Amino acid sequence: MPLSREAIVEGLQRIVGPEAVVTDERVLIESSIDNFRKLQNIFDVHTMPVPAAIVMARSTAKVAEILRFADEHRVNVIPRTGATATEGGLESAVADSVIIDGSAMNQILSIDAYNMQATAQCGVPLQVLEDRVRELGLTTGHSPQSKPVAHMGGLVATRSIGQFSTLYGGIEDMVVGLEAVFPGGQVTRIKNVPRRAAGPDIRHVVIGNEGALCFITEVTVKLFPYFPENNAFLGWTLKDMKTGFEALRAVMVSGFKPSVARVYDPGDAGLHFSHFAAEDDCVLLFMAEGPAGIAKATADGIAAVVAGFPDCTPVESAYIETWFNDLCWGPDKITAEDERIRQTHNVNRTTEISADWSSINDIYQAAKARIIVEIPDITMMGGHSSHSYINGTNMYFNYFFNVVGCGPEEETTKYYLPIISIICEETLRRGGSIVHHHGMGKARAPWVKDEYGSSYYILETLKHAFDPNGIMNVGTIIPQ
Amino acid sequence: MSSLRILVSFKVTPDFEALREKDWLAGAADGSVETRYVRRILNCFDESALEMALRWEDAAAERGETASLGALSVGGRETEPYLKTLLALGYERVARVEPEAALDFAPAVVASLIAGYVRQVDRSDLLLLGCRSGPGDSGTVPFLVAEALGWPCLTRVLEVEPLTDDRVRVACMVDDGLLRVTLRLPCVLAVGNAVVSQLRVPTLTDRLARKNGRIHVLSGAELGVDIAGELRREPCVLVELEAIDRARRGIVIGGATPREKARALFDSHLKSMLEKL
Repeated sequence: MPLSREAIVEGLQRIVGPEAVVTDERVLIESSIDNFRKLQNIFDVHTMPVPAAIVMARSTAKVAEILRFADEHRVNVIPRTGATATEGGLESAVADSVIIDGSAMNQILSIDAYNMQATAQCGVPLQVLEDRVRELGLTTGHSPQSKPVAHMGGLVATRSIGQFSTLYGGIEDMVVGLEAVFPGGQVTRIKNVPRRAAGPDIRHVVIGNEGALCFITEVTVKLFPYFPENNAFLGWTLKDMKTGFEALRAVMVSGFKPSVARVYDPGDAGLHFSHFAAEDDCVLLFMAEGPAGIAKATADGIAAVVAGFPDCTPVESAYIETWFNDLCWGPDKITAEDERIRQTHNVNRTTEISADWSSINDIYQAAKARIIVEIPDITMMGGHSSHSYINGTNMYFNYFFNVVGCGPEEETTKYYLPIISIICEETLRRGGSIVHHHGMGKARAPWVKDEYGSSYYILETLKHAFDPNGIMNVGTIIPQ
Repeated sequence: MSSLRILVSFKVTPDFEALREKDWLAGAADGSVETRYVRRILNCFDESALEMALRWEDAAAERGETASLGALSVGGRETEPYLKTLLALGYERVARVEPEAALDFAPAVVASLIAGYVRQVDRSDLLLLGCRSGPGDSGTVPFLVAEALGWPCLTRVLEVEPLTDDRVRVACMVDDGLLRVTLRLPCVLAVGNAVVSQLRVPTLTDRLARKNGRIHVLSGAELGVDIAGELRREPCVLVELEAIDRARRGIVIGGATPREKARALFDSHLKSMLEKL
């Protein structure tokens, strides 16, 4: 028989003490969702089950005790740290869930400048870690737009990627070891080594698990030398995305490693670059970094490659550098955006996918064309590619719509999910992945079998093996 | 009230928030701050004015009346995306005056151009504009326009609503409170920190429907203003720039529990503030 809300709270209070168990109704209601249903918090209209409690974890041992309690009593738990998720991964899909909040586990445990690695608890904001290592002339190389607000645990749990990924890779390329707690309270530590061939790489059971398998308590990431003085910026305007993808590909397959490599379509470029790009212009841009010789050689090499595309017109690098310096989103921008939505009912959403070079432009064109025709009240439909690889790239669809003729609680069903559905369909049809870096959450979980195909067997087996009682973030990655 | 002609004058400015202090200081010596690399935004007070005019139009439509909206910007091509947006939102008359020279520190010239447009081209009944724009703006343009037109002017306007055919009711901030006055048209209203601060967004369908709308581009000469000559007489000259120290003192409140921290916050800071109320 499931525990009552009161019994869940009492059980948690026995483990961590009353002060570490949040039961304030307002806080619980606002914590029943993440940014996937952000309109519900902006307009204070809520539809999701209210969690029973938020428990503030302060040590790995306490996380283990909480998970043991939850597993024993079949209480659904939702791990979180910075609470910046965008795909419904932090939604309480079932009644009387418990949110395990790791934001108080916020200590940087070590910065090892000799072995070039840093260890942080799950609740350390990336910005804090980055600021600390920069004092030593180092960088994590990880810079998602959410850097000021996202925490290390959540970044690893969602398989995050940063703006410099083309050089440094995604978070999965940075994590050398970690500590995680599994249902039942099993604490596991994966040691920090440069590489090993001792069987499967079990880091990848944890990285990207989105709280559906375990709670990440500690991560160790690589460090890199930081040479901001050598940063070089390059930009071009051009008239079509196909050329933009081709130019990106040419740079990547020529062997260059820019830290930033992007192409914006006209709609998205209009949001950032209208002071130098025409209304129908795409914008192609790169940043090269590293030791002086490498940064210069990379920039020169990219310029030479793009010179082979006569439709690309160079722009002054200061335009790109100025844009780059104002890229991250902190609390101030998030608050301003919420106010804009509150007044205008105009909502900005994004969906990111990836595909090989042969397919990416077709996916972009097909999804965009369908969304403009099939979805009402669209005010901007665009996007950009921002993470490139030797074999393909991502597409970050960026779109705005006015919420008209329905309440804020219906925004996801009337607009957002139908758009996601189109993007997923067009991506899957051409062999791409429906999620590049936001995670599946609950929003894209309905497509998980199509995404995985026959490899779904591995995912499903992992879930059953590590979470046999199904208490870890129900509905995330694998739908209810 | 029958069809009222409302004109909103707006300015597209560099997003100074995106400009780093070192960029400011680089040009401080000779007053030539380089802003061309920074993206452009609508001046926030003008944005309020533009949305207030649209809401006036909405309210008029609900009463079975009409309002005719116009928008003017003294600015170059960078204003055209915004003018197209305003066309899509239902502004009937959109125009820009080619500035021919940098007018950032020339409020008298800007005011002459706006007044010239109102008098000779638009023949508006009501002029709305932001009470000031970004750095470099003196906040005097609304007054100078009103003076040139011989119209009354209210500033720090928060709300405006129609009253009769030739009168509007205006709420504006004054130093010690809120002032509500009835004003006879024509008049100039300079919008301040209004609750309405965000301009609505047209759909792609709206844009398609008005894509052939005309943006009227005028020169100073067409409005009877010799911009170069006026600039020579402009009394405002940028002398120097200095960074404002915006650093604020922070205190980390101690306490073992949230309750203890809340108590410490109340005792050390909030209690004394409440006692002063």
